Amino acid sequence: MLVVLGAGFASSSTGFLDGANLANIGMQSTILLLLALPMTLIMLTEGIDLSMGAVLTLACVVLAAIAVKTGSVTLALAGALALGAAFGFANGALVAWLGLPPFVVTLGTLGIASGLALVTTGAQSITGVGDDVVYFYAGKLAGIPVPLVLGAAAYLAMHGLLYHTRFGTYVFALGGNREALRLAGVRVNAYLIGVYVLGGAMAGFAALLLTARMSAAHPTAAIGMEFDAIAAVAIGGTSFEKGNGWLFGTVLGVLLVGVLRNGLNLLAVPSSLQVAAIGVLIIAALVIESFKNT
Amino acid sequence: MTAVAAAVGPAHGGEQAAPLFELRGITKSFPGVRALDAVSLEIRAGEVHVLLGENGAGKSSLMKVLCGAYLADQGEFFHRGEPVAIRSPADARTLGIAVIFQEFSLVPYLSVAQNIFLGREPRGKIPGSVDHKRMHARARELLDRLGLEVDTRALVHTLGVAQQQLVEIAKALSQEARILVLDEPTAALSERETERLFSIIQRLQSQGVAMIYISHRLAEVFRVGGRITVLRDGRKVGSLLPASTTPDELVSMMVGRKVDTSYARRYCESPGEVVLEVKGMGAVNGVSGVDLVVRAGEIVGLSGLVGSGRTEVARALFGADRVTAGEVRLLNRSREGGPDRAVRSGMALVPEKRKQEGLALIRSVADNILLASLKQIFPRGWFSPAKGIGVASERIRQLRIATPGPRQMVQFLSGGNQQKVVVAKWLSADAKLIIFDEPTLGIDVGAKEEIFALIDQLVQRGAAVLMISSELSEVVKVCDRAYVMRDKRVVGELARAELSETNLLRLAMHDA
Amino acid sequence: MSTLTLPRLALSAEFRTIVQRLLAVLALCIVLSVLSGAFLTVGNLVNVLRQAALIFLLASGLTLVILTAGLDLSIGANVGLSACLAGSVIQATGSPLLGAAVGLGSGCAIGLGNGLLVTVLRLPPFIATYGMLWVVHGLTYWFMAGATIHGFPPAFRALGSGYWLSVPIPVYLMFAFLAVGIGFARYTTWGQEIYAIGANPVAARLSGIPVNRRLVLVYTVSGAMAGLASLIFLARLNSAEGDIGEPLTLPAIAAVLIGGTSLFGGVGTVSGTLVGALILTLVLNGMNLLAIDANWQPLVTGVIVILAVSLDVLTHRGGSASR
Repeated sequence: MLVVLGAGFASSSTGFLDGANLANIGMQSTILLLLALPMTLIMLTEGIDLSMGAVLTLACVVLAAIAVKTGSVTLALAGALALGAAFGFANGALVAWLGLPPFVVTLGTLGIASGLALVTTGAQSITGVGDDVVYFYAGKLAGIPVPLVLGAAAYLAMHGLLYHTRFGTYVFALGGNREALRLAGVRVNAYLIGVYVLGGAMAGFAALLLTARMSAAHPTAAIGMEFDAIAAVAIGGTSFEKGNGWLFGTVLGVLLVGVLRNGLNLLAVPSSLQVAAIGVLIIAALVIESFKNT
Repeated sequence: MTAVAAAVGPAHGGEQAAPLFELRGITKSFPGVRALDAVSLEIRAGEVHVLLGENGAGKSSLMKVLCGAYLADQGEFFHRGEPVAIRSPADARTLGIAVIFQEFSLVPYLSVAQNIFLGREPRGKIPGSVDHKRMHARARELLDRLGLEVDTRALVHTLGVAQQQLVEIAKALSQEARILVLDEPTAALSERETERLFSIIQRLQSQGVAMIYISHRLAEVFRVGGRITVLRDGRKVGSLLPASTTPDELVSMMVGRKVDTSYARRYCESPGEVVLEVKGMGAVNGVSGVDLVVRAGEIVGLSGLVGSGRTEVARALFGADRVTAGEVRLLNRSREGGPDRAVRSGMALVPEKRKQEGLALIRSVADNILLASLKQIFPRGWFSPAKGIGVASERIRQLRIATPGPRQMVQFLSGGNQQKVVVAKWLSADAKLIIFDEPTLGIDVGAKEEIFALIDQLVQRGAAVLMISSELSEVVKVCDRAYVMRDKRVVGELARAELSETNLLRLAMHDA
Repeated sequence: MSTLTLPRLALSAEFRTIVQRLLAVLALCIVLSVLSGAFLTVGNLVNVLRQAALIFLLASGLTLVILTAGLDLSIGANVGLSACLAGSVIQATGSPLLGAAVGLGSGCAIGLGNGLLVTVLRLPPFIATYGMLWVVHGLTYWFMAGATIHGFPPAFRALGSGYWLSVPIPVYLMFAFLAVGIGFARYTTWGQEIYAIGANPVAARLSGIPVNRRLVLVYTVSGAMAGLASLIFLARLNSAEGDIGEPLTLPAIAAVLIGGTSLFGGVGTVSGTLVGALILTLVLNGMNLLAIDANWQPLVTGVIVILAVSLDVLTHRGGSASR
């Protein structure tokens, strides 16, 4: 996988290795990272969350609306987080309590979230979010751009969660041998729901960065971003089954996706084809995975 | 054999005042069958108590009662002489009882230490965190106790089966288990790993842990057993010390059963042409060196203990698992390819797990009956429901399948009738070789007779049958000849005259 | 013995499912005609039928896939690519026939790709078709390069917006393929095998059914129907751009599920899908008539999908292990 990443860097063109460009990739990737990190956990439990992009979009709308109305970043963020967590809870509850297949549930919530986003905004963007919000993307903390700080913090937090807490251990078990976990007397459903709530909440948090970046909330802003997130996780070495995964791999995956998109942009490849390329990458990663496992 | 008794642990020498644990008069029934009938068992600290018996003798039922998975209908438990109750797995755990089943409950991508302490991780200072240092230290202690040199940080999926087993044992020990039940522990181990397991067992014995050891391998039984209890048909036949018995005596204790004379078969005097010929077959599922011959008109048995590879042979012959060595010839033509080609060449398989592999439960009786012969009945591809019902109804009548109608969903039929549906499926397909895998598993006595009569009809009409069965009396009663398997190989063939339960079991059990 | 008992046994579970759904259709019609005076007009009803026809055609192939306990998430993207390719060919050559051939061919090719991913690479269907979805989506956008194609010869447009005996042509196609679908599912051995594969793929394989070949077949058919649907869509809209197929996937899945076909496989009918398409279209039509913002529609469809799946799980969970 590292080899693939290296190859990705190698396939560069003029202007790619420019410092500002690289910094740009880093910044833009942070949003994807915020989605891909919890997606890793969800996929570790043999689940998936197709609604993340839509929830992110909706959270942006909510965040922007609150920010414009009240001028308070804290309130806006709280609103976005709450919304994300609520969707996450819905996803998790349907998967855990009703035993519905995750992809169907999140496909449904995808529709609901994107529908809500369009409806509540009347397909219009919300602008004028104010500088307090924009700071989160454009500002710097001790000389380092805020998004990078947030991204690093998120990664460290997730790493700690996954590898140093009971919650994290159980995440692996939920995917690797859910029965064993149940036999050990652990409340499986609670943790399963928790993972999806985490995903939703992170989407809410990512809304802050995305809205800051665009200085507005577009009702179709992040539709489809879950695809990139899933791709990043899969390329980063987390398989769809059996609780096998690597959090740092996800970081690499995010970088690879970011690099790929950036590189292809510079080569004037239309974004649509980029998506196709990423799709091919996912399939390749999966094929490699399945060959490794047989 | 008897000299090996010296390897047995020290604790069995003196009779202690009260055994560590005692089961008395345990009785457990399921609809239609009494699994346990007033079975009593004494478990002593530091002793390895071997539990012997054929399949269905009650061993696993007894263990499930002991670990709280089943609730006994009658009977009492005593812990150091004091009466206790076991009503749930939690009760059993509190009493220090742990069972190591053959399918491990380990999480593949977690470390050894994490697996051992799953659900009981030592807490760190921050709420919700895990104190890794302490966890790994304690895990290290446990592993050292067992002499397992694996790194506690190693992910479980990287370990071999033997090591995983030891991790399971460590997990049990971490729960302060004083009674450890080992169910066929050496089934998947190599010679060296088995030796290591034995030395660990000795070590645990010296630490006062009591063990119940379930196995079919007599040589092992004599090696580690401090006391042997034989079960048969849910009853305890006897408890002995290894020093005072022989393998033959044990075998006869396990086997001796009233012969059921209600069904009498006319054995095949003059078998027809060779239908199946197998030479030196090996497959991806682990079987090797398989030699078989089955002729038209014969019912040939394939006997052996659970895990000896019989189902694997059936799957390989049928093409469900890939053949990697040797030759398989059906009606003198080389048989290759997957199940679809097997069926077209005239082979049929009635699987052991009829619900998972033989039937589409949510489909109707008629749908299932027609499934293997759609091409024959409807050669041009057009399916006529009316004609299908007609053919199915005919089969239902022929085999006397008890069902409200051909459109009834198969999942509502009794076990015996479900099995008949599977047989009916192949009748329509006009198969030349039919492989039955445990045809009477889970079927009541009356239906069993009918199934045998069916099989007899099949061979009367010129088909050849290979019958896998774990019920020795069945094999003796029904088959013209039998092959015996052990450890994934065919180790012997018994002609009609030599066919007896004792001979079958002896060949199957690695009689030293 | 059978002819006398046939009428009694005709109330099989499948039949009952369809009757229940038809009653729902009736109920919806009554409610809508009460709620809105515009519902019972010829124009509106024709519109409903036309919409339902489109969804049904797309969902009919999908029904077969879901019957095998599989899923095809790529049909929307498939429609997009096939429509764009077909449209371009028609514009370039002026020949509707050639365009139709290309559209159908593209649909089949994508379906075949899905089938191979599922059988040869053994990818779980939802992953395989999800990946395919994005690949096709990307190809479509790249091919169109942001442009829009419009203006097709009237002969072609008749396919989507034309009438014959004052009934829209797509409706004829709907009934035609209903017959084909029923014929295939109920009256061919392949159909029986497909039901068996969905009910228990292991038992089907061990009964001699060539499971992989049948799976490739159903995915190809699903793709082909997407190709067909794309032609009709193209004809009706008289234009094509990159994302035209996108909003169709969820309604198609909804139609299949509402119609009583189970995600667990082995249970369901093509007729059910038709009724399901009707029910969905009526609900969306009602929303239009009641002047509810069109942006609510994907949301409502999503909710319906979740409800249908829940009903499916509750009814059919007993049969199989977790999926």
